[in-house]
Amino acid sequence: MQSKKLIITTFLIGLLALSCSLEENPVGFLSSENFYETEGDALSAVAYAYAILPEIEYYSRHFYLVTTVPTEEFTLKPDVGASQHDLDQLRPLANNREVTDVFRYAYIGVNRANMVIEEVPQIQMDETLRNQLIGEGHFLRALHYFNLVRLFGDVPLHASAIRDVESTMQGLTPQEDIYQFIIEDLNEAIELMDQQNRYGRANQVAAWGLLSKVYLHLASAGATGVEGFEFVTDPESYYELASVYSGYVVNDQNIYYLEEDLREIFSVYNEGGPERIFYATVDRAGENEGNYSKMPLLINPYLDGAEIELLDGISFPSGWNHVITEEGFYFSFDEEDLRRNELMVDSVIVDGEYLTYPGGGIEAPFTRKFIDPDQTGEQTSTDIPILRYSDILLTYAEAEGPTAEGYNAINQIRNRAGLDDLEPGLSPSDFRDAVLDERSWELAFEGHRLFDLRRTNKMEEILQGRYGKTIHNNAYYYEIPQIERDVNDLID
Amino acid sequence: MGNTVQLQIYLKALLTILLIFSFSVNVAAQDTGHLVEGTVTDVDGEPLIGVNIFLKSDRSIGTTTNLEGNFSLRVADENEVLIFSYLGFSTKEVPLEGRSQIQVEMAYGAMMGDELVVVGYGEMRRSDMTGSVSQVPAERLENLQSHSLDRMLQGRVPGLLVMGPSGEPGEGVTMRIRGASSLHGSNSPLYVVDGFPLGSAGDLNQINPSDIKSIEVLKDASAAAIYGSRGANGVILVTTTSQTDDHSTRINLNIQNGVSTLAQDLDIFTDPVQYAIVANESRVNAGQDALFTGQTYLGTYYPSEAELRSGDWPHRTNWQDEVYRNAITNDYTLSIEGGSDQTRYIFSGNYYAEEGLTINNRYERLSGRVYLNQQVTDDLNVSANVNLSMTDRERSSASYGRSPVFPVYDENGEYFQIGPQDYWHPIALAREVTDQGESIDVVASGRATWNIRENLNFNSQINLSYGESVWDNFQPSRYTSTGNQFDGFGSIANFRNRSWASENYLSYQNEFAGVHRLNLTTGVTTEQSITRTSNLEGRGFINESLGNEDLNAAEETIVNNSQVEEVLLSALGRANYVYDERYLLTFTSRLDGSSKFGSNNQWAFFPSGAIGWNLHNEEFLQDQELLSEVKLRLSYGLTGNQGISPYQTLDRLGSNEYFLDGRFVTAYGPGIFRWDDFFKIWSGIANPDLKWETTEQVNLGLELGFLYNRVTLTADVYHKRTRDLLRLQRLPISSGFDEIWVNDGVIDNRGFELAAEANLLRGSFIWNLGAMYSLNRNEVVGVGDSDFEFWGSEIEMFRTPVNVLKEGSPLFAFYGYKTDGIIQTLEEGLAAGLTGEQAQPGEIKYVDLNGDGVVDADDRTIIGDPNPDFIFSISTDFYYRQFDLSFMLYGAIGGDVFNLQKFSTASAQMQRWTPDNPTNEYPSLNNLRGYEVSDWWIEDGSYLRIQNITLGYTLNEPGFLPLDRLRFYFSADNLHTFTRFQSGFDPEVGENGLNWGFYPRPTKFMFGINVTI
Repeated sequence: MQSKKLIITTFLIGLLALSCSLEENPVGFLSSENFYETEGDALSAVAYAYAILPEIEYYSRHFYLVTTVPTEEFTLKPDVGASQHDLDQLRPLANNREVTDVFRYAYIGVNRANMVIEEVPQIQMDETLRNQLIGEGHFLRALHYFNLVRLFGDVPLHASAIRDVESTMQGLTPQEDIYQFIIEDLNEAIELMDQQNRYGRANQVAAWGLLSKVYLHLASAGATGVEGFEFVTDPESYYELASVYSGYVVNDQNIYYLEEDLREIFSVYNEGGPERIFYATVDRAGENEGNYSKMPLLINPYLDGAEIELLDGISFPSGWNHVITEEGFYFSFDEEDLRRNELMVDSVIVDGEYLTYPGGGIEAPFTRKFIDPDQTGEQTSTDIPILRYSDILLTYAEAEGPTAEGYNAINQIRNRAGLDDLEPGLSPSDFRDAVLDERSWELAFEGHRLFDLRRTNKMEEILQGRYGKTIHNNAYYYEIPQIERDVNDLID
Repeated sequence: MGNTVQLQIYLKALLTILLIFSFSVNVAAQDTGHLVEGTVTDVDGEPLIGVNIFLKSDRSIGTTTNLEGNFSLRVADENEVLIFSYLGFSTKEVPLEGRSQIQVEMAYGAMMGDELVVVGYGEMRRSDMTGSVSQVPAERLENLQSHSLDRMLQGRVPGLLVMGPSGEPGEGVTMRIRGASSLHGSNSPLYVVDGFPLGSAGDLNQINPSDIKSIEVLKDASAAAIYGSRGANGVILVTTTSQTDDHSTRINLNIQNGVSTLAQDLDIFTDPVQYAIVANESRVNAGQDALFTGQTYLGTYYPSEAELRSGDWPHRTNWQDEVYRNAITNDYTLSIEGGSDQTRYIFSGNYYAEEGLTINNRYERLSGRVYLNQQVTDDLNVSANVNLSMTDRERSSASYGRSPVFPVYDENGEYFQIGPQDYWHPIALAREVTDQGESIDVVASGRATWNIRENLNFNSQINLSYGESVWDNFQPSRYTSTGNQFDGFGSIANFRNRSWASENYLSYQNEFAGVHRLNLTTGVTTEQSITRTSNLEGRGFINESLGNEDLNAAEETIVNNSQVEEVLLSALGRANYVYDERYLLTFTSRLDGSSKFGSNNQWAFFPSGAIGWNLHNEEFLQDQELLSEVKLRLSYGLTGNQGISPYQTLDRLGSNEYFLDGRFVTAYGPGIFRWDDFFKIWSGIANPDLKWETTEQVNLGLELGFLYNRVTLTADVYHKRTRDLLRLQRLPISSGFDEIWVNDGVIDNRGFELAAEANLLRGSFIWNLGAMYSLNRNEVVGVGDSDFEFWGSEIEMFRTPVNVLKEGSPLFAFYGYKTDGIIQTLEEGLAAGLTGEQAQPGEIKYVDLNGDGVVDADDRTIIGDPNPDFIFSISTDFYYRQFDLSFMLYGAIGGDVFNLQKFSTASAQMQRWTPDNPTNEYPSLNNLRGYEVSDWWIEDGSYLRIQNITLGYTLNEPGFLPLDRLRFYFSADNLHTFTRFQSGFDPEVGENGLNWGFYPRPTKFMFGINVTI
């Protein structure tokens, strides 16, 4: 009898142990069930949508390489790996690492923006702030799709957030519809957002600026007959729309304007400066790359591994010499152009010794737009320009054409660079060609050139004709990355 | 480590006192009673040495026979019965009946069959077993010198592959039982120590090898199914010593000291002239300016080749001599055991310290164990077992690949740095970088066995394990690139795991009608594990003298922490039926529920069944003496693998920071990432269907014993098929996610195992021989939707991984170009379909495999297989008089090694292609060459190693010494490796077959003394 009791007791102990629950309670991380509930959550969700921008694979490295290296701006040091050399030599394969990453990261951005657009409206909070945040979601989604459509043409369209495996696959949407989607998003953003300057975040002015660029892209691509833009039957109407929205930026607000001093535009201490409509922001105190940036190290030369001092006293450590300014591009600047003379470096001091270009110890001149004089180790606070006032001013000029307004806009830019007014009386096409050249100098090394050449159908004319490069493939659109084609049953 | 040193001193002092004390006790106990003397021989009259003799009334009193087979023993009662026992002979009882002289003749007997084998939740008679289980008794491990048990198992168990490419003290190994059967889940066997499944948190380093009684390796489904969802990779059961029938107090002391040396000289440049020539040529061929031209570059003077040749250059640094040393190992073990009829105890302590071959590199461990067993009442026995270990480890990242042209120190006694960004000075790295850690592990269990009825036992065991480690790292701003990047970098990584398991099971055994024997076991278990980690990091130190001791003084501090919980609930059962000692039937099953798996698939059932046939007990095999044992077994069953990390089934939000308004704000949203080298791979979509991998295995075994089991042979063939592989399925990247855990894909492992043991000679000269052979073939049957995927990280040199998983190929096969020597002329290169730099003379000639006229990515194919064709070992021992000699050979044949170091050694670079040396073996030197993955890098990694040789001298003649036993021994580990693999490197590499140039495996010589009182 006694043993029976004991058996029962001991079994009870065993059964008690069994009552431990198998349900997994997440420890140390959030899931969508315990988030998107408060105003703080909403702000945090929007910050997450922005945080994709300065990642290595996006604006701080790979997007930068993809949009600058194929053009006349940069070539590369020899030992950087085949995929980047393929970009430089305009023969990228469908598995190109950097192009694939940009595609990947733009879509990660799309999904984060989609979560903001879907989740924030459910949150109980101040309505004005809520609208602003939702507007920022629309702005970001438009920005990512604008990058995608400019790089790849037809792409998958994800208009809602991914919540299960079933919704991960989408076929290609024609670029005409993608552009329509972008325009709708930006109109929505304009409606929802205010004009307050919150550096690092978008506002109504940024949405106007981006929308004007979208219309200009459509207008110029349609007008110059870029393949794939046959749907643009009336380019002039798009030029008009581009002029309207860039006109808002130029004439209807007074937060943003041209900085007088060229170097001041790019100073890392000038956060929130008047030309900075929308930048991806970082700080050297960040924890990981993406929170801080190593982007300037791509550009800064490697000189004896030593500290490099500029003639105005600014100094910074040797970089990687990863991208190297092409000589032809350097010499395309007017000799008087302050954008060459003040923003590009051809002499430095190392260990008390002057090194100069050409032939005096510097392999190539380099841009100082991105230097952080307070770089710690390899960490910099260099924010990445996405929308700058002079970009929109030149958008306005190009959209306007050779009108008084158009001339006024481009001449503001030229005069600031120490150049005379543009020759008056140009035909609309000559004027727009002049704006395009002006953009190459004004926005040099800022990741606009590839898109400018693509939308004006000038890849061959400029890169082959003027700079003697050879284009092997993918002049106007990159291929949808191989890995996407391999996995996505709805593509090919 | 001050504490450990002190403890070491205490330990030594204690040992000395104990020794002196016990000598006197033993001497005093010898002289009263009736003296019996005699001789023990076999049936042929040959004297038997070392026969155990003890009293039937008190087994703690006894002796052993000497070299002539003689013994003498004092007994209190002249009518005592003496028991004689000897391996390979039938145990014999001899009543004294007042005699003082006796002659004992012992008959050969089959001992096999009656010994108990630990099988998980109980023990089984070996003759009743139907599963494939290999047993490694502790005696087999006795002579091997290592801090860890896992290394000792190499070559000991058929079907168990142990790979330990690094020879650094404290480094772990990779173990595979019957091949890898998972792609992304764990492939490691489950370790179970005294019934406690250590799970993913545990490894065998926590156990002091000298505490081990036996190790059982469960290989087939019938044996492993009792561990259900964790059994698919096999199970290693470790049993530590427990009570014996012998009550006497026994003290055992083992002291061994030794020295480790480099097994072979490194193949590095020692001649500055050669180095300069090669360095200049590599740069010039890459279009760079030569350095060694008598110029100052980057602040360093590079002498010209002529200057070096003239002999005036003052430096000629041999970095091998600077970095490596002859390293010392100390190992002290003391154990005391004893007790009474009701109480048994074992105390043991071990101190182990091993210096690494490189400077500032060491591993120390102090471990202790307490075992107590109390017979509370006639039917209740309780025991407690506590293992405690403390380890201390100091690593050094010193390497030897450095220019012999430059000295170790400059004229000011500072480390000589080559250029302003020199982060590779080995001595600076060894001395100035802090990279050390300490850990504490406690494994404890309490167990009660209730003998409810004669045939029914209830076992309840509570297990606790606690492990904690702290790892310190500090990199001063000057000597490492990380230190430089952050202007001084320090971190403290904390880890803590707390697990418990409660196991309750009933076992029933009975015999009916003389021919039926039934063994039943059933029970329930619960396990929970909680792991917490934190990493404290400081970046930017104004003053570096405190190292990482005050991280708060850093300009920037970063904290990361995590917590992971797992729960496993199970019910298990095993039925074993034996009919007439001839026909055997086993059914085993386990039901497991795991928190790690999706809500739709939380519970799984793992059944297995097996049959066995003891043919030697059949009538028709009775009238012969040749075959003493013939047994056939056949098993089939399912086991599982749940080796993924928790929380993979939930939708997860990631976090990041974004810099707004002059500060970082915390951001949350969809997508979490893991690092794949430099790249972030994103996941986070929930998969509520995620479940176990299931391995289906069939095993056919044959056991043979000849001549009273003087020769035994065990052979097994198996086929394992693993389905529902846990796999990271790629998602369309346009979804914003890269991957998700799913169950698909199939892997096959097929193999054959053989183990043989023979007692070739016995009598005064004993010779035993053992051999092990195992062969495993694995094949990727499917990897989800695609038939191909890369495996492992991208290798920078090639910008792609080297290993792949490809349908129809072995796991981890190498994938790349075939090559055909070296291009000799540009025409030859162009004709081969190569272009640009790759078509130049002196380049590797890649083959246009598909014949389309161009060499491109489509020409890649499977070019090698890292899995060995077979592994084997041969071990043998000789005993003659007081001497014993044993050695073991271990070999792995037919595995390819992808040798990333092939062109890094001095001798390889000296054989480079040049226009004057148009070799077909090596390409020209070129600093900036973009290499492709190709078979040029692949070498045959077959090897045969003299794993261990031990020579011992044992004194155990009664009366000669006031000791029971005194043994001296000398052993050598890793004495020589026979291989065609590149000189300077060991061909034993990891599972993926890549040779990175691992920490060299030392050759180790040890001298030891073992005293038993």
